[in-house]
Amino acid sequence: MLKVLSMVAAVIVWGLVSLTLPPEIFPGPIETARTLWGEIAKGDLWTDLAMTMLRVVAGLLLALILGVPVGVLMGLNRRAEAVLDVWVMIGLTVPSLCYAIMAFMWFGLNEGAAIIAIAITAAPSITINIWEGVKNVDTRLVAMARVFEATRPAIVRRVLMPQIFPYVMASARFGLGIIWKITVLVELIGRPNGVGFKLFYWYQLADMKQVLAWTLLFTIIMLLIELCILKPIERRVFAWRPQVAV
Amino acid sequence: MNPVIEVASLRKNFKDRNGASRAVLRDLDLTVGAGEFLCILGPSGCGKSTLLNVLAGLDKVYEGQASVSGGRVGYLFQEPRLLPWLTAEGNLDFALTSCKVPASRWSELKSRYLAMTGLSDYRDYYPHQISGGMAQRLALVRALCVEPGVLLMDEPFSGLDEITARRIRSDLLTIWEETRKTIVFVTHNAYEACFLADRILVMSGGAFRQEMRVPIARPRSYDDPAIFQLSRDVIKAFGDEIGRDTVPSAIPASEPGLVDDLDRHAAARMNI
Repeated sequence: MLKVLSMVAAVIVWGLVSLTLPPEIFPGPIETARTLWGEIAKGDLWTDLAMTMLRVVAGLLLALILGVPVGVLMGLNRRAEAVLDVWVMIGLTVPSLCYAIMAFMWFGLNEGAAIIAIAITAAPSITINIWEGVKNVDTRLVAMARVFEATRPAIVRRVLMPQIFPYVMASARFGLGIIWKITVLVELIGRPNGVGFKLFYWYQLADMKQVLAWTLLFTIIMLLIELCILKPIERRVFAWRPQVAV
Repeated sequence: MNPVIEVASLRKNFKDRNGASRAVLRDLDLTVGAGEFLCILGPSGCGKSTLLNVLAGLDKVYEGQASVSGGRVGYLFQEPRLLPWLTAEGNLDFALTSCKVPASRWSELKSRYLAMTGLSDYRDYYPHQISGGMAQRLALVRALCVEPGVLLMDEPFSGLDEITARRIRSDLLTIWEETRKTIVFVTHNAYEACFLADRILVMSGGAFRQEMRVPIARPRSYDDPAIFQLSRDVIKAFGDEIGRDTVPSAIPASEPGLVDDLDRHAAARMNI
């Protein structure tokens, strides 16, 4: 309820501020919504949106494939931790734009390069989450399972995985936040379609209405995914957790 | 009585931070008969948990002999160690699956021990939804329902408030009198040891210092003055020695309110 109220308030403030500025510089919510509706009615918006979504999903999957094993390894093995620690930090520090440029220069202006750039950018932060999660595994529960004669695979599946899974979920969510942003950037410099391409296109035409309309579209889609897909999954998977009153 | 646990010249050393070797267990000899209730009494850091870990097979690095026969080993830890993502019943099922207890026996075993501990109505509760005392009872049910021949207990009630701990101790005796499992119970609480045990071994600095039988008839009552008298004797006889323990204890033993109806000085000494 508070969430809805705060969003309504934000739209009102947006509207009020836009009244003080000319519409070419800062269009109001109604105008932006009308522009967005016009784009939707034209129909080719869906192609751009689908391409962006495809890159986001593929990038996230690849980032998880790269990031999770490295994180697990770092959590389990001290030597691996010592060696990889600095590389994860470097991976985090290098600006995503550098990865994007390098990927396009090495692999060409194609879809594969875009997805690689996206995944490489997000992988280090996923690794950090998983690394932390594996280090926090409660070994007392493992000792308990051993007393009850649980086999090694059973311990991994029934005692370790459930402890690590929340961190995988958290890192996927966190990774997604990063991936949205880098995807738009990658599309801007190296793809002929997608939300980022469109934003850049309208930027070059200095059409603020369109820029805001596409930003709005992107934000709405992102919120929908968060509220309609990720939250319910989380609620179902972590039903056993105590509710924390904040 | 056939011996179920046999330990001979058991030694174990730890390397401390400076690389110096420190003896945790020094030449322990121990025989526990079938159906016996043995308490090992000693201060924190005296090696009693290490001994239990060796008996449970969790710790395999030691010198000397240690063998446990007479069936599976059940273990009750200081904390419940329940899997928080499983319900009470799910936790029992986990243990039953791991120990390969035939599924046809599950419901009978679960019902029996849940009823004995008063948890029958809590099958579908998650660990965070029940109190600490109930969680520890559930851990006891989990240890019992895999039908161990030997039950090892590592200060299982020291984290509970005294009223709850008393109730569970009495329940444990009732269950033990019905099932006659062999129990090795580690504690630093002399009163608890005198209430529960057939025999008490006092341990300090990695060695057994004294052995004594508890001559009090069963069933016992928690308020029996004989138990109080005996626990005082235990402390008088061995307290000074334990006080001069050369091994620095890892965790300072301070559990308030373990013996609530004694004056504070006696209580402080009682709780070695």
